[in-house]
Amino acid sequence: MKPGAFEYFAPSTVAEAINLLDRYGDEAKIIAGGQSLVPMMNFRLARPEVLIDINRIKELDYIREKGDELLIGALTRERDLESSPLVQERCPILAKAVSFIGHFPIRTRGTIGGSLVHADPSAEIPTAILGLDARMKVVGPSGERTLEPEEFFLSYLTTSLEPSEILVEVKIPALPKKAGWSFVELSRRQGDFAIVGVASVLFMGQGGVCKEARISLGGIASTPIRAGEAEELLAGQILNEALIEKAGQKAAEATDPDSDYHASAEYRRDMARVFVQRGLKEAWNRVKGGQ
Amino acid sequence: MKIEGKHKFQASQKQIWDLFMDQRHLEKALPGCEKMEEREPGKYDVLLKIGIAAVKGTYRGKMEVVDPEPPKRYRLIGEGSGSPGFVKGEAVIELSQQDQDTIVSYQGEMQVGGLIAGIGQRMIGGIARMMVGQFFKKMEKELKSQQ
Amino acid sequence: MAEQRRIMVKVNGVGYEREVEPRRLLVDFLRDDLELIGTHVGCEHGFCGACTILLNGRSIRSCLMFAVQADGAEIMTVEGIAGDGKLHPLQEAFQEHHGLQCGFCTPGMLMTSYEFLKENPDPTAEEVRMAMSAVLCRCTGYKQVIDSVMAAAAKMRGK
Repeated sequence: MKPGAFEYFAPSTVAEAINLLDRYGDEAKIIAGGQSLVPMMNFRLARPEVLIDINRIKELDYIREKGDELLIGALTRERDLESSPLVQERCPILAKAVSFIGHFPIRTRGTIGGSLVHADPSAEIPTAILGLDARMKVVGPSGERTLEPEEFFLSYLTTSLEPSEILVEVKIPALPKKAGWSFVELSRRQGDFAIVGVASVLFMGQGGVCKEARISLGGIASTPIRAGEAEELLAGQILNEALIEKAGQKAAEATDPDSDYHASAEYRRDMARVFVQRGLKEAWNRVKGGQ
Repeated sequence: MKIEGKHKFQASQKQIWDLFMDQRHLEKALPGCEKMEEREPGKYDVLLKIGIAAVKGTYRGKMEVVDPEPPKRYRLIGEGSGSPGFVKGEAVIELSQQDQDTIVSYQGEMQVGGLIAGIGQRMIGGIARMMVGQFFKKMEKELKSQQ
Repeated sequence: MAEQRRIMVKVNGVGYEREVEPRRLLVDFLRDDLELIGTHVGCEHGFCGACTILLNGRSIRSCLMFAVQADGAEIMTVEGIAGDGKLHPLQEAFQEHHGLQCGFCTPGMLMTSYEFLKENPDPTAEEVRMAMSAVLCRCTGYKQVIDSVMAAAAKMRGK
């Protein structure tokens, strides 16, 4: 089908975009990469009366290093995240997660900001971000605020952004060189939506002890979730196969997935177990044998 | 898809039965309900505006309370259609007293069809559950407004 | 409802100036307004890849972009990959190795492999398979597509 008619604006600054959002309120929708919005418009599931195209706000497209943090502008294209030497070096889990997003041409247009604000619970970027202490900088008519992932993701396709707010930047602490990491995903075909996706980070201490583990699951709930009990199981421990097996079981036990066309609840839950185990093993291998 | 669950209210069974039979409260609690009209006793016309993020739709539908056995159980039949698709469902609602509280348990089947069913299939189950949860939260509010 | 906007695009080296409604999809602009019907409309939700073109040198799904957004851009469609009246090695390879049957996905296959080989001129078959999985083909079973791209790559490396 073809999309319905709409009024179109292409502001060149954040301030202009916020003014437009403020003016048109409920009728307006921001378009960044459009890789999630335009399909919905083509199906006429979404029919915004006003489209605010932020692709001309070039100042939002950047990847920078500041001390131990990566600062990524919301308009940064997924394709650029994937190939960025800075991201590959300082936050490789993000580059890996992005490589699972759809296909290459989708990643040419899709943006990190768009993916986060769209908040699809199976999406790779939200899943990875949840495990990373990332902070989202958001700007609105009343100023700037910073949100942590748990505050940011509320439910299916819903974030805590106020109607006139725009996500402008994502701040991510760089991963320590010794840290293990992985991003694994189960989908029916390469590029399909994740049935379950797992981001794992292992912060290592001395003597092979895992100081802290992060396990973030996507596709299993109304937002990405952390496997808190599984993380606690690994904290302060020397890793071994049995512990990883148990962590996978614990992570799965804490989930309450729905059934859908692609996977029954039971299958999904079991795959959560399998992929947490695989993800942890891969992250641990990275610790042991280098990348 | 199957929908089932239960919710505990801090009130007597009779009070909860009356609450659930009262159109004024149902109208406030049904997600997105803009209008609810009783055509005949127990038969309602509803207008719902529901949506998640950019996907909004208007649904016109009917709801019917069938085989009421006050204050224990009744069947609820509903259907609605709008541009994003259609919804059809049937549930059995049972009330039981537990000390000072009333447990409302529901068990039913829901069919979703049309565009949202095809495209939104991944999330429909979860979203339906979420909306049922929202309905009960709002009914709690309605209960408080009475007390 | 909305008025027309004037846009300027360069497609396959030729400049065009047109007026479009904001909701005009880029793929429909190319096909209907510019009569470049080589790019195909398949699923209209970014999945099948038949609408793939290069925008400022990078592959995109033209069904997921509005023409107004492409104002000022340089676009390459499948009509632009042949040069000097000769077929591009990719087109020749697809012909020789039966990389197409019905031909519907072929513009997508060509644009995708065109960009891919620019970035990776000496790929493994596995890498080609990964890249070409971005386009949905219901006819060939992909084997001939992979063969065609590998053959074109070899030819382009001068072998």
